[in-house]
Amino acid sequence: MISVAYFIVQTVVILLAAPLVNGIIKKIKALSQKRKGAPVTQLYFDLFKLFKKGMVVSDTASWIFRAAPYVVFATSLAAALLVPVTTMIPSQWHAGDLILMVYLLALGRFFMMLAGLDTASAFGGMGSSREAMISSLIEPSILVSLITVGLIAKSTDLYRIMEHMKGVDAPLIHPVYLTAFLALLIIIIAETARIPVDDPSTHLELTMVHEAMLLEYSGRSLALMELGASIKQLVFITLAVNIFIPNDQFILITGAAAVFLSLVIYLIKVILIAAVIAVAEICTVKLRLFSVPNLAALSFILSFVGFMQYFVLGR
Amino acid sequence: MNWFVPDHLFYGSIMIYLAAAIAAVIFYRRHQLCTLFAQAGCVLAAILGAVFSLGILFSESEALLLEPFRSAIPFLSVVIAIDALSAFFMLVLSVLVCCVSVYSIGYVSHYHGKRNVGAFHVLYIAFILSMIFVFTAGNAVFFFMAWELMAVISYFLVVFESEQEGNERAGLIYIVMTHIGAAFLMIAFMIMFSYTGSFDIFGNSDTIPAAAKNLMFVFFLIGFGVKAGVVPVHIWLPYAHPAAPSNVSALMSGIMIKTAIYGLVRFVLCYLDIQHSWWGVAILCIGIISAVLGVAYALMEHNIKRLLAFHSVENIGIILIGLGISFVAFSGGRELLGGVALAASLFHTFNHTLFKGGLFLGAGSIQYAAHTKDIEKLGGLIKRMPVTSVLVLCFSLAISAIVPFNGFVSEWLTYQSLFSIIVPGQTGLNILSVLSIAALAMSGALAAACFVKLFGISFLGKARSEAALHAPEVPAPMNAGMGVLAALCLAIGLFPMLFLQVIDKVVSDVSGTSVTGELQGGFLIASYPVTAYGNSITPVVILVASAVIILAAAAVIRLVGGKAAERKYGTWDCGFEELTPRMQYSATGFTKPLRIVLRILYRPGRSLEVEEGDSAYFPVSRKYNVWTEPVFEKYVYDPLLNAVKKFSLRIKLSVQTGSTHAYLVYIFIAVLALMLYNRLA
Repeated sequence: MISVAYFIVQTVVILLAAPLVNGIIKKIKALSQKRKGAPVTQLYFDLFKLFKKGMVVSDTASWIFRAAPYVVFATSLAAALLVPVTTMIPSQWHAGDLILMVYLLALGRFFMMLAGLDTASAFGGMGSSREAMISSLIEPSILVSLITVGLIAKSTDLYRIMEHMKGVDAPLIHPVYLTAFLALLIIIIAETARIPVDDPSTHLELTMVHEAMLLEYSGRSLALMELGASIKQLVFITLAVNIFIPNDQFILITGAAAVFLSLVIYLIKVILIAAVIAVAEICTVKLRLFSVPNLAALSFILSFVGFMQYFVLGR
Repeated sequence: MNWFVPDHLFYGSIMIYLAAAIAAVIFYRRHQLCTLFAQAGCVLAAILGAVFSLGILFSESEALLLEPFRSAIPFLSVVIAIDALSAFFMLVLSVLVCCVSVYSIGYVSHYHGKRNVGAFHVLYIAFILSMIFVFTAGNAVFFFMAWELMAVISYFLVVFESEQEGNERAGLIYIVMTHIGAAFLMIAFMIMFSYTGSFDIFGNSDTIPAAAKNLMFVFFLIGFGVKAGVVPVHIWLPYAHPAAPSNVSALMSGIMIKTAIYGLVRFVLCYLDIQHSWWGVAILCIGIISAVLGVAYALMEHNIKRLLAFHSVENIGIILIGLGISFVAFSGGRELLGGVALAASLFHTFNHTLFKGGLFLGAGSIQYAAHTKDIEKLGGLIKRMPVTSVLVLCFSLAISAIVPFNGFVSEWLTYQSLFSIIVPGQTGLNILSVLSIAALAMSGALAAACFVKLFGISFLGKARSEAALHAPEVPAPMNAGMGVLAALCLAIGLFPMLFLQVIDKVVSDVSGTSVTGELQGGFLIASYPVTAYGNSITPVVILVASAVIILAAAAVIRLVGGKAAERKYGTWDCGFEELTPRMQYSATGFTKPLRIVLRILYRPGRSLEVEEGDSAYFPVSRKYNVWTEPVFEKYVYDPLLNAVKKFSLRIKLSVQTGSTHAYLVYIFIAVLALMLYNRLA
């Protein structure tokens, strides 16, 4: 019974909150530019409209192009099921740990990169090529930072890591958690195609990465791709907030009310990180593509230093 | 188990291989019959071999000892000893041979009427037999003979298409490198004999002093390292694999380089017994370097088979990371961890056999259909070779360690072994382990990039050449052989515990510790987790969940948006004229960002040759060249080779002058020295 509740909460929260994060980031950016901006719910309307629209498919495209949106969406959502949004419902689901989550997202990325090449368009190839570079450079840092935390919690299971972190008071004042958290913030920016790594609002070939791969998509395929990307973004944000800013230990009530309270706090934390991402987007400009490795290296060094601090120097 | 008479099955398998070879000789003029008899015989023999090895693994008996031929000369007897480890590698060999032989029935048909097919089949079967004897040899002399036989026969297979440019050089590099390795092995065996007085592989090594054991370990590492193709002695792989026919490359990369892994486990772990933790650390370091450099160099290759050859270097690196951890753990007395790491390593060995064998067969199919190995000349094959493309996609996902396939499970186990070897306090090992984690992560992502390139450029988009435009689907046997391998990749990825039960037999036989306590898993199809150190994954559940999500998404979209209105139209061309295949991304272009980022590894260069016409603005032709430097060859092997050449020339001028008198003096001195040595010793 409990695990059914877990799936329902997970799916509903992630599916509903994911487009909201995009809306909030856009709203903050608009406000900073003294614009009114689109409503925070704009992406829901967009998706709804796209679902009803027809599609134009390139005559060069094969089944890979049609399958990719479904694969991207399914892997993102399946990965989201592995990252608890609240620890108030115990996850009895041992289907996967953080390593599986990373390699599941890799499946979606693999298909997205193939879809970029499928239509024989130079834009798609360019996007895939750049994505291949960025993902290869960021991957070591994802695993090292998450595994460092996992080593302290003595598990690679995300629920158990979060459980462990509830027992650590104020994690972010410990150097090991702080460096891992900062590494993860850089990862979020790189993985979710945000400035300074990529620019989500551009359609200029010099700057596109993620958008270039989606250029040939329209209608429901585009909607699935967009939704998949926003779910992936929320997965990484959830990792950051639920591991490094645990809050469920402060909730003393039990039952459905506790779950609700926990989810409210979770959403506030997500909005906080979204604001941080928005501020980062406002304050920085897109990096030259070949400066991205420096950012990836910074992220890796941060996670590595965190590891060294804890496991070599001792706490 | 009355039906299971191990020695009959073993001899039966060998006999069928021999019968197949004889049939190939008899029918050597009738090419179709020759291929059919030889390869069908191999399939039958391989199935028998697989049954035999499974029987050995699951029977509780001790190692099977056979001595079919006892010679009057000591140490020259043919001694066959098959324990769990040998049986495991025979199983791996048999599974691969079975699929490759089915494939060969179709593939070899392009030699029909052009080449001596009979000779090919005889060499092919002899190659398989030599590998069987490598895995089953009971004494070092017989092992070494089988090892050398394997090297020589594979040399003949590498140069089988000797009229093609570069193949002879490839063969030469291969045979020279492999003999350098063999020389080290020979010295190690001599040390072994000089201290124990026996060549028995299963013997006791207690009488060998510690210093000699260290020396033997180094020699084994170099000797087997050359065959495995670890960096920096990997240079023969990217030459030999592309030169050999594709079914032979599948065997070479799928199983021949694994004889080195067998050798390391057999001689270092079983015979020498791990003495020092630096042995494991050395293997771990080599593994890390090979894993990262192998995939990095693969990325820059646009010849499919050279690319795959470099990926073998990467995967051997991953196998060695697992093996290194297990050696470190055994030396530290952490038997259980050592067992799990060894299981991870052996599991990846088997998985690599499946997907790399499959990929080489896929490369063969592409070459069979489009007559080229160059990715830049392919494109759009998915429409003309639908079955081949799905199979190659499966193998590509498996080698990139992506979730529902087998490559992921063994990498996950390697991660878990790395995860549990890290404990606070130990400095060097922790740093090395976390670097291994980073190396595994990076090699996985780079492998994905590389296989997006391979699959995306050659199968997707538009055809870049006439040959690719008219490539037909390959004959059914070729796809059948690959299909079995792909099905195994998926099945083992979904139900890994089934195969880990087999590996556990080997691990408990080798190390004396059963790892089933640490590696758990249920038997229900619905829930099938693998658990190591309390962490579990259930790939099959993930697959089912993803499928449910896809169906639900499709249903919801249908409900909201109604039936899809779809229009076919050309790819967006920015409003200019129609796109041509030349406007697509090329493999060179695809890898350019990584070439720039990792330029320290590749040392890329470029040049532009412009032939000017009447005006500088309208050149007649432009030629743009991009290249990367073969760093190891240029900075290690070429100087070394030149030094050896120089030294030899000096020796020739000063010592080997051609004067008979001088030679007589040499002989006299040599005899004198030997007599003195005898007197003193």
